[in-house]
Amino acid sequence: MPKILVLVPFPMAADQLALRQAQSKAVPLEPGTTLHYRPVKAAPRTYVSQQDYVLADLSLFEAGLSAQADGFDAVIIDTVSDSGVNALRSMLDIPVVGPGRAMFLNALMLGDRFSILAMWKHWSGLYKKTLTELGLMERLASVRSIDIVPDNRNLLGGKEEDVFPKLLEAGKRAIEEDGADVLLLGSTTMHQAHGYLAERLPVPVINPGPLSYKMAETAIALRLSHSRAGYPKPMVEKSAMVRAMMDGAAAAERGRPVEKLS
Amino acid sequence: MRRFLVLVLLPQEPSVIERRARQRHLVPDHWGIELHYRGVQAAPATNLCPADFALAEIALFEAGFTAQEEGFDAVLVDSMSDTAVDALRSVLDIPVVGPGRAAFLTALMLGERVSVLAMWSHWAVLYTRTLGAMGLLSRLASVRSIEEAPDTRHLLAGKEAEIFPKLLEAGRLAIEEDGADVICLGSTTLYQAHAYLAERLPVPVINPAPLSYLVADIMFALSLRPSRRAHPKPLLDQQAMVRAMMTAAARQEGTR
Repeated sequence: MPKILVLVPFPMAADQLALRQAQSKAVPLEPGTTLHYRPVKAAPRTYVSQQDYVLADLSLFEAGLSAQADGFDAVIIDTVSDSGVNALRSMLDIPVVGPGRAMFLNALMLGDRFSILAMWKHWSGLYKKTLTELGLMERLASVRSIDIVPDNRNLLGGKEEDVFPKLLEAGKRAIEEDGADVLLLGSTTMHQAHGYLAERLPVPVINPGPLSYKMAETAIALRLSHSRAGYPKPMVEKSAMVRAMMDGAAAAERGRPVEKLS
Repeated sequence: MRRFLVLVLLPQEPSVIERRARQRHLVPDHWGIELHYRGVQAAPATNLCPADFALAEIALFEAGFTAQEEGFDAVLVDSMSDTAVDALRSVLDIPVVGPGRAAFLTALMLGERVSVLAMWSHWAVLYTRTLGAMGLLSRLASVRSIEEAPDTRHLLAGKEAEIFPKLLEAGRLAIEEDGADVICLGSTTLYQAHAYLAERLPVPVINPAPLSYLVADIMFALSLRPSRRAHPKPLLDQQAMVRAMMTAAARQEGTR
């Protein structure tokens, strides 16, 4: 009975969390698999700059530190940034799956060049970070952005009529002008658009969140986990310090409204 | 006089930081750089695996993000890992330089293949990470390690007679067997061995920290700044949160 922890990269209310949980309906899971969604204690407002990446790594790291002790069989990060994945791998023996790596590597099992559909161009750095780590930048045909401010709490609800056709148009251009033979949704927060796009575009469209769930199930079933040689354990573990830091961050953020972005 | 801030990944402790600060004497006085060395509020015990990296990034970021308003002209990180360089570049408009990139790119201005001399093999990931990100892994002839546990607080003092000849032998093997035509010290904590090695080895030997000071000064002098496109500013300044995190870390660690 695989029990999988999904880490959500922003603190959020129950109704917002439900929008993330809806990703589990997009894919048939193995009988007995359960997904448990856990938001972080505090987070960067967005993921657009290296300052944000540093905060993101630490917040997701802390949120997943106890996963193995809590009885989970795998951990997934609900963001294609793969933030915190490397740090968690160096602490945990259970599989830790990032949708970013998962979608890029799966794309290359389906085609040779991929494009990413993004809400705004500020996300480009995230893709570059992972693709550079993998040495796969030359497989990126393009990042096509529709330049709409994303809402990482409420996702695409109510904006379908505006956003979906723009994403479709961006996807068509990625195929025709940029030479993409696989398309990737640039964020797990875009999952609501997947069905619409997959029906209308002539190439595979990868929905990173649900893909990561199947990757975690596969890792559990095949007893594959990350290489300890690639992700060595720390010589001195500092879990108490990490926890204190995120409690400190949460205290500093308490009562503060989510800032509006323009 | 230019004022540069050098960040050290160790909790602030005067005698320990002073040992790093002696690297200031490796730059000629007439160059006109004033170097200020600063530790962090709390730190991981080592900087060798991703769990350490996550902590090291935020610790050094917090120690340096006010550098510009404090009037510094450049920021350096006293570590070959280049930890926090990208994050600091995203919030500062002054030059931020990491010895890792500076050492490797300078090596390629002096030769074609570089070997790194390391105290232990755990450090190898720091070099392959930086070279990999630059697409330059093929220029790494070898990492030669002498398998001695480093002491990042006391450095090589008292162990010169034992360590220096081992590093020299590793350097010779790197040149003769691995084909290195430039040698790079694998850590800023090896600076005390530099003169000994440079006198005895037949190829250039790079001492990463002093090099990084001068690279920063070149950027300063030529008005070259890190590309804002590669290091976009955050949409929201979250330094209060970062400060709260490191204050909590220091309290937890008893370093404050």
